[in-house]
Amino acid sequence: MTVSSRISGDGKELVIAIDDRFDFSLHQLFRDAYSSITTQDLSYVLDLSKTEYMDSSALGMILLLKDHVQLYAGQLTISKPSDTVRKILEIAQFQRLMTIE
Amino acid sequence: MPRIQKIALVVDDSKMQCKLLSVLLKEEDYQVIIANDGASGVQMYIEHQPDLVLMDINMPIMDGFEATRRIKKLSGEGTLAPLIFITSMDSEQAFIDSVDAGGDSILVRPFTPKVFKAKIKAMQRISDLVDQVKGLQLEQQNDAELAEKMMSGVIEARNFALDKIGTIKKAATIFSGDIQLTALCPNGDIHVLLGDFTGHGLRASIGAIPVTDTFRAMTKKGFSILDIVAQLNRQMFTLLPGDLFFAACFACISEHEKSAYIFNAGLPDGYLFDVQGTIKQQFVSTHPPLGILPQLLADAQVEVVQVKPNDRLVFITDGIVEARNPAGDLFDFHRFEQAAIAGIIQKDLVNNVLSSLDDFCENCEQEDDISLVDVPCSGWQQIKVSNKVTIPEGFTEEDNYFALADNSLPTWSYHLHLTGGLLKKVNPIPLVMNQINDLEGAGEHWQSLYTILTELFINALDHGVLGLNSSLKNSAEGFSQYFKERAHRLDLLANEDNKVSEDFVGIALKYFPLAHGGKMVINIKDSGQGFDILDVFKDNSIAMNDGLKLSGRGVELVNQLCDTLDYQEQGTLVTASYIWHD
Repeated sequence: MTVSSRISGDGKELVIAIDDRFDFSLHQLFRDAYSSITTQDLSYVLDLSKTEYMDSSALGMILLLKDHVQLYAGQLTISKPSDTVRKILEIAQFQRLMTIE
Repeated sequence: MPRIQKIALVVDDSKMQCKLLSVLLKEEDYQVIIANDGASGVQMYIEHQPDLVLMDINMPIMDGFEATRRIKKLSGEGTLAPLIFITSMDSEQAFIDSVDAGGDSILVRPFTPKVFKAKIKAMQRISDLVDQVKGLQLEQQNDAELAEKMMSGVIEARNFALDKIGTIKKAATIFSGDIQLTALCPNGDIHVLLGDFTGHGLRASIGAIPVTDTFRAMTKKGFSILDIVAQLNRQMFTLLPGDLFFAACFACISEHEKSAYIFNAGLPDGYLFDVQGTIKQQFVSTHPPLGILPQLLADAQVEVVQVKPNDRLVFITDGIVEARNPAGDLFDFHRFEQAAIAGIIQKDLVNNVLSSLDDFCENCEQEDDISLVDVPCSGWQQIKVSNKVTIPEGFTEEDNYFALADNSLPTWSYHLHLTGGLLKKVNPIPLVMNQINDLEGAGEHWQSLYTILTELFINALDHGVLGLNSSLKNSAEGFSQYFKERAHRLDLLANEDNKVSEDFVGIALKYFPLAHGGKMVINIKDSGQGFDILDVFKDNSIAMNDGLKLSGRGVELVNQLCDTLDYQEQGTLVTASYIWHD
């Protein structure tokens, strides 16, 4: 699986992890990872530590996730992007829109 | 065009079998042609282009596998004449071999006529589907080509000074999501945009036409780059769905100010190269791409740099640095920079980058649109500057007299008084120019008036209200310090919101028609401390001689464009008059 998601034991955090390439081919899988989750005040963590490459449609997919998170008053954090991915996030200035750690 | 009667080709060395299959096929309304060995089967296929092929395996001269391989090679991709092997070899190997050779199905003898007909129906259904998909593909391709033609007609063809700007534009599909625009400002500055919509293809291009319209219309009306960026952001936010956005680099190059204003929202670094190919400056993205946020971030700012006439500004989209070779390596920034530098030295940046990119990628499939603009910092259309007003034929003393008479009244006048924070938020020049265009119609002669108004307003704001010292701009470091300080003081002005501000700039216009033209008298008054105008002019004439000084050029230029230019009230009031003739 290239997109995996799990809810933490205490039910307060949803971690979505992407392996390898994050691009348009993951569109449906990525949406499925969060679209049915309607818990309020949930922390969403997008784990990009294993993502080697990301294209601009992936940035668009992250924006859709952000819309979803805001709809349910949650928090979105992008976690541990690799240098290549961090560069792409920086060019798009996503640190101005969400937390990147 | 579909044929009325479908043709089936039967390839079998047994005459008996051929006859049997023919009867069944004719009952299904096929016209049947027959070959008795593989080689003549291939020949018949070429001659008749059948809709269905039935193939025996063991035959003289050429067996069924070889004949099938040749036929499938001939029919190529995208067309499907289903080929069914008919055999009594009921083995796993026969089945595997026939699929490997390119067969679409296998039918093992003995079979009943009903099973045979069902098989043919099933195969025909698949081949109809393939035809349908092919038709749709063709339709889509035609649409995309038409749209592409329209787009390049609307967009590229109407760009300003195409001959002076180097561009690379390689679309990953027919339709590029990248867009390159240039337009001429009323004062002779040039606006450049390189943009990249998310994704590529038709989906990525829906924003291209509104972006083009807004960029051109606002440039023509005299709006600044930041005004245009803010408007495009609002427009893209309403227009584009949540996951689509527009990353773009903007530049305004002012030849007479020898400066460039740059704004990068979401593209890779832009570059300023000098004539030797040295990277003088890089412009990092300072803002998320347009269309994500409803408004620009509050601290959104253009970057201002000094440029020399031989400098070049180069913008790229991520398709260049993210292009891959067969090993999967990225072309990346360092390869791009090397190619660009070598290109500048050879005076052909575009082709050098292109060939270096081609060598690197070795015909690898292009994943994203690739785009670049290479813009020289000088050589644009010069605004007409003459030191004295020339009096054309038919221009009489009477005209002159009327224009200069003390008791003459303007046919209209216009006043605009901006205070406090509005001085940061509002650019009055497009407002004023709009009024003039509405009252007197559009015309070439307004170009000079635009320049006069812009320069005088900026002087009143910068040196009057904001109290900035133009001598700061004499050095390269001071130049950027000047613009930092300017932004800071404007922010202070904007924060004066609640109380009535004492800071203001007033603009007043009076229009006097002449028999063969007109005269505009411009008054601009500011709330600043004033200055010693004589010193500035003296400085300027020295500066013009050594050609090095950066500040005060505005006043000199205005002086050349105007009929008269007077500073009064310790330099806080300037009166300029501008005369033109039809």
